[in-house]
Amino acid sequence: MNSYSDPPSGTASPITRLVEAFHRLPGIGPKSAQRLAYHVLRAPETEAKDLAEALMEVKRSIVLCERCQDLTSESPCRICLDLSRDRTSICVVEEPLDVRAIERTRGHHGLYHVLHGVISPTDGIGPEDLKIQELLARLRDIDTEVSEVIVATNPNLEGEATSMYLGRLLRPLGIRVTRLARGLPAGADLEYADDVTLGRALEFRQEVQ
Amino acid sequence: MPGRVPRVTKTEAIVLGHRRLGDADRIVTLLTPHRGKVDVVAKGLLRSRSKMAGHLEPLTRVEVVLAHGRSMDIVTQAQAVESFPALRRDLDRLSTAMYLLELVDRLTVEHADARPVYELLHAALLRTERGDGVQLVTRTFELSLLDVSGFRPEWTVCVACGAPVDADDAGWSALAGGVLCPNCRGRHPEASPLAPRVLRVLRAYQSQSYEDAARIRLDAELMGRLERVMHDLVRSVAERDLKSAAFVSAARRASVSESAAESAAEAAPVAVSEE
Repeated sequence: MNSYSDPPSGTASPITRLVEAFHRLPGIGPKSAQRLAYHVLRAPETEAKDLAEALMEVKRSIVLCERCQDLTSESPCRICLDLSRDRTSICVVEEPLDVRAIERTRGHHGLYHVLHGVISPTDGIGPEDLKIQELLARLRDIDTEVSEVIVATNPNLEGEATSMYLGRLLRPLGIRVTRLARGLPAGADLEYADDVTLGRALEFRQEVQ
Repeated sequence: MPGRVPRVTKTEAIVLGHRRLGDADRIVTLLTPHRGKVDVVAKGLLRSRSKMAGHLEPLTRVEVVLAHGRSMDIVTQAQAVESFPALRRDLDRLSTAMYLLELVDRLTVEHADARPVYELLHAALLRTERGDGVQLVTRTFELSLLDVSGFRPEWTVCVACGAPVDADDAGWSALAGGVLCPNCRGRHPEASPLAPRVLRVLRAYQSQSYEDAARIRLDAELMGRLERVMHDLVRSVAERDLKSAAFVSAARRASVSESAAESAAEAAPVAVSEE
């Protein structure tokens, strides 16, 4: 990242600083970072100002929803306040982006709860580091109408551990705990499928419509 | 330099863990019999069309083909050999297996022959898979792993003076790595007493085969005491707390409260025992 010259004083030049800031973003390599920085440099000042303000605004105004823990500009969030949504089911996801993914399917009409992670002991993340107490508080609330919790953690080892752990915690509350089905992805090839996936797909096979 | 280093190697391995690398790639930590622990790059593993993703999940025994890269090898093919399905369906077994993986990860070094560790881990996973008591599997695994890693705890003679230690009057220290006789205990302020029946089980587990160890009947209280001793020892060797050990306990506590809720419904006494 030294294709542009640094000022002799040793402090990074404004361009270097911008390139490095872009480089820290996910999915941005050194070349893309340079391209973005020089684009900003050439762009009209209003465009740069819009970007800077949008960045500051998002940091200032986005908070966690007091109920579902999703990212929102007002707490409680729109989904939690939406009276047309089914209050008897909560879909538990790992990350805020997973809420967007489930919403795109239009298959879930209930509420959400974002854990902000998954139980992963090798990364030093235990149940106490997730928003599990907040979920329990919602379910123990005397006004709760929730009868089903759909655990939509990722179908990997950490996701399975998290879903089974939640199952153990929530069943004593008299709540039905379900897990997303797991099988072959669209466009998959049986020859390359792993045994766990193929086994579950076989186990949860369905009648041909 | 053609011919000196083969460009690809084929090996079997147990997947210990993984971490993200960029947007779609992963660094996968493998335990191999001949090269010990190795970090390898698996490209495109996070894409939904990845043909290798399911084969490189932690807790899978896998055949891999590795291409030599500049800093890390790259996985070019992966085929799961054993994926321990029963182990993934039960929280006690799964959390135990996660602990075994973390323990191996902490106590092994990279690029060193690890055949004994590999065989111990494979055997422990198979035993957990077939439903052996998780406490029995874990304790015997911890003792054997410490042994082959050069941290064999001493349960028969005093670690300070070498005198035989009477099981009825023994102290022990995780820091010193074993039992202490009454004379030496004073010089080890960190030492604590060790119950005779706990010490007898530790001696038996260390000296007997797994099959003989499995015949020893333990109540829940004794299992708890053994677990505390072994966790102290492991923490002292690994020089840190193992997060997965805490998760094993959290899972067990949740199970106790679940069965308590069920029993309360039936107004029956709670039985807190393993399996």
